[in-house]
Amino acid sequence: MVSREIIHGIHWVGAIDFDRRIFDELIPLPNGTSYNSYLIQGSEKTALIDTVDPTKEFELISNLVKLNVERIDYVVVNHAEQDHSGSLPMILEFFPDAVVVTNAKCKDLLIAHLHLPENRFMVIKDKETLSLGDRTLEFFLTPWTHWPETQITYLREDKILFSCDLFGSHTATSDLYVTDEGEIYGSAKRYYAEIMMPFRNSIRGYVEMVRALPLVMIAPSHGSIYSRTPFILDAYADWVSDAVKNEVVIAYVSMHGSTQKMVEHLTDALIARGITVKPFNLTRTDIGELAKSLVDTATVVIATPTVLFGPHPQVVYATYLANLLKPKMRYASVIGSYGWGGKAVETIVKMLDHVKVEIIEPVMVKGLPDETTFLALNRLADDILRKHNESKIV
Amino acid sequence: MLDKYTCSICGHMYNPTVGEPMQNIPPGREFSDLPDDWQCPICGASRKNFRKE
Repeated sequence: MVSREIIHGIHWVGAIDFDRRIFDELIPLPNGTSYNSYLIQGSEKTALIDTVDPTKEFELISNLVKLNVERIDYVVVNHAEQDHSGSLPMILEFFPDAVVVTNAKCKDLLIAHLHLPENRFMVIKDKETLSLGDRTLEFFLTPWTHWPETQITYLREDKILFSCDLFGSHTATSDLYVTDEGEIYGSAKRYYAEIMMPFRNSIRGYVEMVRALPLVMIAPSHGSIYSRTPFILDAYADWVSDAVKNEVVIAYVSMHGSTQKMVEHLTDALIARGITVKPFNLTRTDIGELAKSLVDTATVVIATPTVLFGPHPQVVYATYLANLLKPKMRYASVIGSYGWGGKAVETIVKMLDHVKVEIIEPVMVKGLPDETTFLALNRLADDILRKHNESKIV
Repeated sequence: MLDKYTCSICGHMYNPTVGEPMQNIPPGREFSDLPDDWQCPICGASRKNFRKE
């Protein structure tokens, strides 16, 4: 890997993971990712902001060696997760004078996850500053920009915010700065859905706090740097707001075609009513795309066949995940079919205990859908439109 | 009184009628009487992340 100078004395020294295709053994990474680490050299002291995934620790070290960095005084850790902190043991070994600068909660987690020694820490509080000579770092504690210990670091004189996971995107690109905002918008939205969405209410305040800072750029820990900061701040303000769109996400599985027919009918009925529809066949869906679609949809319809007595396990998986990600959806319903019995609807509705939704009357059919089923699906489409109208979403 | 509070981060509910067995908090303790540095026993969120039911 090769380091890049951002401005004099500030370098990107991280690693680009072009090959990585899955994160946490859960989230697909269609565009790879990057682990951004930044070196800041002041007139007196040198600081490294975050490290890289331990699989890339030698790239980080080699970047520092090639820049002839002989001493690192501070390693600022914004987040204890291993994709940013995992190379700390090696950094601390290579730079024996380096001190880890972070908040108390993060220190606790770093010791738990990496078994770092107590005596290598300097604990900072919210809004505390750290002088590097002619440059000053200011720390803002921002719990729940993924984990409870997350913080962001602001470089005052250069007006650069090192936001760690917040505002990031899983993109592996050789472009240091965002060049194609359209492409990054989708990628950052997907990342928000996967990582930030459960903490929407906490993040809302942070977006306003960041907006109030004089900013030249936002340098996250995944993806490219934003040199036009209102682009990502406006996008986040929209995503964390309570506003939902006139959209219905249909997450479905069909075993013998009955549920498929119902989904097709409902899709057409919703389109005919001017509602945007996003159907996802879960057996061939990238769950990151499903999560992204949940960011601002007003309604989710879960469509499932019945396996033995309950919903299809793929549907259970997607419902569990959607509930965990806590989207701001307002309405939900369940449709599907069964062979001889079962309680698929009850099981699905019970799973949605984390999202505050109103359940619109479900449509279940025994066997193949008939005219009565299609009329019931029309009624469901009417109900959804009426609810969207009542909530002034249309 | 004896209002229930829910953690806005993980959804865990503090029910004063039962207290919090995981933290040895006895039944009958109001949410408002919990210490300032009290944290959610499930996710560690601070008190201010709790919303009244």
